[in-house]
Amino acid sequence: MANNSIELNVKMEVEKVQSKRKDWGLKWYVFLIPSFLGILLFMVYPVFESLRLSFYQSNGTVENYIGLANFKSVLTSNSFWNSVWNTFYIGIFQIMITIPLGFIFASLINSTKRGQNFFKVLYFLPNVTSIVAAAMIFAFVLHPEMGIVNYVLHAIGLPTPGWLSDPSTSKWAVIILAVWHWIGFVIIICLANLQAIPSEMYEAARIDGASGLQQWFFITIPNMAGTFAFLLITGWIGALQRFNEVYVLGGPNGSPARSIQTMGAFIYERGFTGFEFGIASAATYIMFILILVFTFINLKFSKMKI
Amino acid sequence: MKAGSSYKKREQIAGGFKFAILLLFGLLLITPFVWMVSVGFDRTANVTMPFPPKLIPKSPSSFNFGIVFENGSLLKAYLNSGIVTVSSVFIGVSASLLAGYAFSKGRFKGKKVLFVVVLCTLMIPMEPRLIPLYKLFNSVHLLNTFWPLVLPSLISGMLIFLCKQFFDQLPDTLREASQIDGAGEFTTFFRIYLPLAGPIVATMIILAFIWSWNDFMWPLVVLNSKELQTVPLYLASFSLENGTSLGGLTMALATMSVLPIVILYLFLQKYIIQSIALSGVKGE
Repeated sequence: MANNSIELNVKMEVEKVQSKRKDWGLKWYVFLIPSFLGILLFMVYPVFESLRLSFYQSNGTVENYIGLANFKSVLTSNSFWNSVWNTFYIGIFQIMITIPLGFIFASLINSTKRGQNFFKVLYFLPNVTSIVAAAMIFAFVLHPEMGIVNYVLHAIGLPTPGWLSDPSTSKWAVIILAVWHWIGFVIIICLANLQAIPSEMYEAARIDGASGLQQWFFITIPNMAGTFAFLLITGWIGALQRFNEVYVLGGPNGSPARSIQTMGAFIYERGFTGFEFGIASAATYIMFILILVFTFINLKFSKMKI
Repeated sequence: MKAGSSYKKREQIAGGFKFAILLLFGLLLITPFVWMVSVGFDRTANVTMPFPPKLIPKSPSSFNFGIVFENGSLLKAYLNSGIVTVSSVFIGVSASLLAGYAFSKGRFKGKKVLFVVVLCTLMIPMEPRLIPLYKLFNSVHLLNTFWPLVLPSLISGMLIFLCKQFFDQLPDTLREASQIDGAGEFTTFFRIYLPLAGPIVATMIILAFIWSWNDFMWPLVVLNSKELQTVPLYLASFSLENGTSLGGLTMALATMSVLPIVILYLFLQKYIIQSIALSGVKGE
């Protein structure tokens, strides 16, 4: 009997606590209202609406269901595949150059005793300026006749390419701009992670007689694998979305001769200069799927904890 | 003793060598900026660019800068960018603080699922949302206003994520103590946790500022009026109109668009670099 009443009491206490928790629960949703309003209106709705639109022929006012015709038309369009090629070409070279170069400079900055902070600030400067302003400057820096790059190339006896005036070199002009703009970011991320490598590892190696270069190869580089994966994937996702600089340098059609039109520019051209919403939505979904695949790989690689 | 000193000497030489390489490459990186300023001060550069390039123009003049200011478009663009950025940062950071706090300290049904939803938004780029959002704002007649630039800033998965991580490091006991004193959930948040969140709020403001200030594709889609152009839009339209014909003027304009950001960066460099590193490292 006494036992029962104690049990009853405990039960009542538990219920009290639980009901109090339920009470809290409701309050917590209030905290989430603004963000989830944003998610519903500006994320969930547009993603599904875009999918729907990709099955319609649409110019914004008149809509006709046409099944997979938009996808078919995008996937058989030469200018779409040309934009994919341009996007991949610029992205691959940007990443292949910037990550190793940025890592080397981060290592140098990390190992120098004087002026570490000065170099950090200096190297990050290009990344602070907007890519639009940077593209505007580089149109002159890489100008075939009056630019400083060709002046230097000529002075040391190298051939002077036409850069942005020549479809065969224009992608490299964009790559140079992209490397210049992104390298500061790569250096900052590398430095943060270099400094997180425990110094005991280096001490142990030094005691075993490993040289500086050996330490770099056998301790630093393996420890940076996660950082490289992160930079590779985020860099690649950014590269797939490239638009701003190619728009400033070549307009929506990526002149000269569509040689720097990226997927983003293709979508902009079809969607907002041609108002072919259905076609643009289909192209957008193809790009979205590409980005999703790489983001998943990124999350897998980097073991982000939830 | 001798071996030690020669080792030290070798170290010193290697150190000097590293320093020289870093300095050389660093100067190479900022050469475009130096050249930009130099050409900006050259009045004749609008007709023919100075060639071979010079550090100091033959007859320095502030003519180009005078035109940039007289025209007034750049100042207007600054004002527009300022309005958009401050509003975007405010609503983005506020909403993310609330949500980040709830995901860190809250106990409610569906917390995990909802947080996964937030993380999923990190994977959704702007491009697939461009046309539906354009149609959405068109249908409520808000194209050519700042609303389409500001309102979508309400949601940022990255800011919520960073904020949650920060609150996770603060002890729960603070909450319990405050609640024993009879404070409600909101009072606890505003009185106890928010005052401790200074560092993460600074980081969030810096990141949200950079995103909003540099935003280009979406503003390009929703703003047609010259009156409403933000700084990047004005630069792009100037550049596309004039190509490489008005060198001096273009460079003066570029200088004036870059300068305020560079000054801000030099003052806040420590915090900006930390914020960028944090968003990268945490993302990992």
